[in-house]
Amino acid sequence: MAALDARLLRAIGDYELDDPAFLALARDLFAYQIAHNAPYAAFARSAGFDAARLPERITEIPAVPAAAFKEARLATFPPAETAAAFETSGTTSGRGGRHELPTTQLYEAAVLASFDRMLLPDGARLRYLNLVPDPRQNPHSSLGYMLATIAQERGDGAGGWYLHGDALDLDGLVRDVARANADGVAVCLATTAFALVALLDALTARGLRLPLPGGSRIMETGGFKGRTRVVERTALYAAASDRLGVAVDAIVAEYGMTELSSQYYDSFASRSRIEPRVKVAPPWLRAIVVDGDGRAVANGVVGAIRHVDLANRGSVIAIETEDLGALVPSLRQAQDGLGAGQAGLVLLGREHGAELRGCSLDAETLLVRRA
Amino acid sequence: MPEARGSSGALRTLPAKRIVACIADAAKRWCDADYAPRLRATAAIAARLGYSTPVVDYALDRLFGGATRAALESAIASELGSVDALDRVAERRGAPAAWARGVDRVVIVSSDTTIGVALVPAIFALCAKCDVVVKDRSDVLVAEFFATLAQEHPAFAGAARARTWTGGDDPAEDAVLGAADVVVAFGGDEALYAIRARCATEARFVAFGHRASIGRLTRDDVAEFDDDRAERVARDALLYDGEGCLSLHALFVEADGDALRRVGATLGAACERVALEFPGGARSPQRTAAVAAYRGIAAFRAAGGHGDVLRAADVTLVVDSPAGEPPPFLPRVVPLISVTGDDAIARYVAAQHLPVQALGVTAADALALALAEQIGAVRVAPFGTLQTPPIGGHHGGAPRVADFIRWIDRE
Repeated sequence: MAALDARLLRAIGDYELDDPAFLALARDLFAYQIAHNAPYAAFARSAGFDAARLPERITEIPAVPAAAFKEARLATFPPAETAAAFETSGTTSGRGGRHELPTTQLYEAAVLASFDRMLLPDGARLRYLNLVPDPRQNPHSSLGYMLATIAQERGDGAGGWYLHGDALDLDGLVRDVARANADGVAVCLATTAFALVALLDALTARGLRLPLPGGSRIMETGGFKGRTRVVERTALYAAASDRLGVAVDAIVAEYGMTELSSQYYDSFASRSRIEPRVKVAPPWLRAIVVDGDGRAVANGVVGAIRHVDLANRGSVIAIETEDLGALVPSLRQAQDGLGAGQAGLVLLGREHGAELRGCSLDAETLLVRRA
Repeated sequence: MPEARGSSGALRTLPAKRIVACIADAAKRWCDADYAPRLRATAAIAARLGYSTPVVDYALDRLFGGATRAALESAIASELGSVDALDRVAERRGAPAAWARGVDRVVIVSSDTTIGVALVPAIFALCAKCDVVVKDRSDVLVAEFFATLAQEHPAFAGAARARTWTGGDDPAEDAVLGAADVVVAFGGDEALYAIRARCATEARFVAFGHRASIGRLTRDDVAEFDDDRAERVARDALLYDGEGCLSLHALFVEADGDALRRVGATLGAACERVALEFPGGARSPQRTAAVAAYRGIAAFRAAGGHGDVLRAADVTLVVDSPAGEPPPFLPRVVPLISVTGDDAIARYVAAQHLPVQALGVTAADALALALAEQIGAVRVAPFGTLQTPPIGGHHGGAPRVADFIRWIDRE
C-alpha cells in the first residue's frame, strides 16, 4: 500500500504518466483493490477478472456504476481507518452514496496538482471566495473539502464562504469583494453553476455590478443536477463576465464527482469560447467514452463517460456514469498536461437527447411527485 | 398556426350515425398498409420517433382497426344511452328526456409523442358534432387522417382541423385554448399545468397525465408460466419500447428463489422472440446511458448475491429487483419484483406514489379487480392486450364522448 501510494504521489508530482506507465499502475491498483475491497472483487469476478486474470487494457477494468456507492461500502480498508468520507445526495433511490478515503494525502495532492496546473499557471496567490458548501457546515461535501484544501494551501488566508444551505450571503460577498479590491488581491470565485445563477440574479435584483479585482478568475462547477432551473452555460458565462468584470477565458469549469479523487478542467485552448469547452484530465485520470454495452467508442462519438482514476486508491479505480460526452483531440496538449495522443473530453450534459417519446411516467417526474 | 374562431357547426346537420360511418370508413382505408397517406405517415412517425416500422405499423393497425362503426356506436350508446341522443332529444328511462348536444369547440393538445394519441378523442368529439382543432405532430398523422375524413364527407373539412404550432408562449395557442369549450391535453405535469392555466374559466379540461402500468403473476400463474404466457407479457413490455402509459413497467411476481429465476428465464426467452417481431427503436445517447447504468447497478447487486440481470436481445430483465425502488421507466427494461401477494403490490404502489393506469393479469377476476381498485388502476387487462385497449374503453378512467357534450333536458 505504501509503495503504491508512493508511486501514485510520484506520478502526481511529476504530472506525467504515459500510457504504459498508466496501465501498469492501473493493473497494480486493480489487483490491490480486488484483494481488499470485497464488493468490488465480486463485481470484477462477475466481469471475468480476478487476481489471476488482470485487465490487459484500461478499457477492460471493470467500472462500477456511480450508484454502487449507495449500495455497498466500497473501500479497501476497515471503517475505523476512514480519514475522510464524502457523501452524495440521494437522488432517484433516495439514498446517498459515500466515498471513504483512508488518507487525505493522495486526494489533496491530486486536487492541488490539477488546480495549480489549470487555474494557477501564473502561480498567483489568490483570495478564495467560495460559493460552495462550507465544510464546517457540510463536513461530507467533497467540493467543500476540495476548496478548503485549495484555499488553505494556495490562498492568502482571507477568503470566506458565502453559501449556507441554498442561501446566498450576498452582503458578505459584496463586502469581501470590496475588501479584496481595496487590498488589490485577485480572487478566485469558486462557485457551483446554480450558486452563480443565484448570485447574478441577486445582483440584478439590486441593480449591482460586482467587479472582481484584476487577475481574478472564476471556477465554476457542479452543473444543475437536481435543480428545477437550468441556465444555458453560454448565457451564464456571458452574464458572469459582464456583471463580475471577468473575461470569459478566466471562467474555468471544473468537472468532478464525489466518487472520484481527481478533477477535470477546461483546457486552455478552449477557454476563449464558452461552448464547447474541452475538459482535460490530469495524467493519472483517464476518461473512456462507452456505448450502451460498455464498449469504448471512437473519438467524436457520444456515449457515457467512464473514469479511471488512479487517485481513488482507497475505493474503486473505475467508475461509470450517466454523464454524456465525447472524446476529442485537445490542442496545446503540453500546457494542458495531456500526453501524446491523449484526448480531451467534451461534456454534453445529462439532458442531451433526453426527450421522452411516450406517455409513460418517468423517474424524474415520479421523484418530484413523491417529494 | 391555429386561429381562434367561432364554431363552423359544419357537422351539425349530419346525423351522428352518418358521422360515425364516415369515420369508420376513413379508418378502414387507413387499415390498408399500402394506403398512400398511411405510408407517408408511417415513414414520418418512424423517422420522428425512431420506432421501428413494424412497431409503427402495429400501432396504426390497432388505432384504426378498432375504429369500426359497431365499436364507435357501442361506445357512444354505452355512455349516452343511444347514438341518436347526439341528434335530438331521446327518451331515457327514469330520467328526463335529453339531447346530448355536442359543445362547439374542442381543442386537443398532445405534448407527448405517443403515436396517434390525439386521434381517439378527436374521433369522439367529431361524433358529437364538435369543431375540433388538434395540435398535430410534425408527422402530420392527424392532418392526414382528417384529409381522408374530408374525402368521406366535405363537412369534415370545416369541422376537423389539425395544426402544428409551437407550444408554450405562442399567443396564437392562447387564443385557441381560450376559445375552447373543452380542452383535452396529454402530457407531463408541467405541460398540463401550463395548458390548464390558459383555458377559459368554464372550459372543461380533460387531462391525461403520465402514468405507469404494472403486471402481476400470482403463485398459480407462476406455476403455469409457459412460453405462450411469457410472450404475452413480453409483448406488453416491449411494444413502444415500454414508453407508453399502458406499457408494462414492472412485473410483480408471487415467487422467489428458483421459481422467480425460472419466470425470468422464460420471460427472457420470450422477449428474444417478441423482439424479432417488434424490433427496438432508436435510443438517445442519454437513454442508452441510463439503461446501461441501471443494468450496471443491477449487475453490481447480482455480483453481491442479490438478484440477477438477464439480457435478451435489446431487453434487460432485472430479476428480484429491490422492492424499495421505483420502476426505472427505461426503454425495454423490466424489473421483476418478488412479492408475497396483492397486499405487497398495493404497499409498493402506495410507497412509490405510483399513478397506475393499467394492471396486467392472467385472469381479470374478482381478486384482480380488487387489486386494481386498491392501487388506483383504471383498467384490468389480460397480458398481451395491455397496450391495445378497445376504443370504447375508459382511457384514464374518463368517458370517451360524454366530455364533449352538454345535456339539454326536456322536462
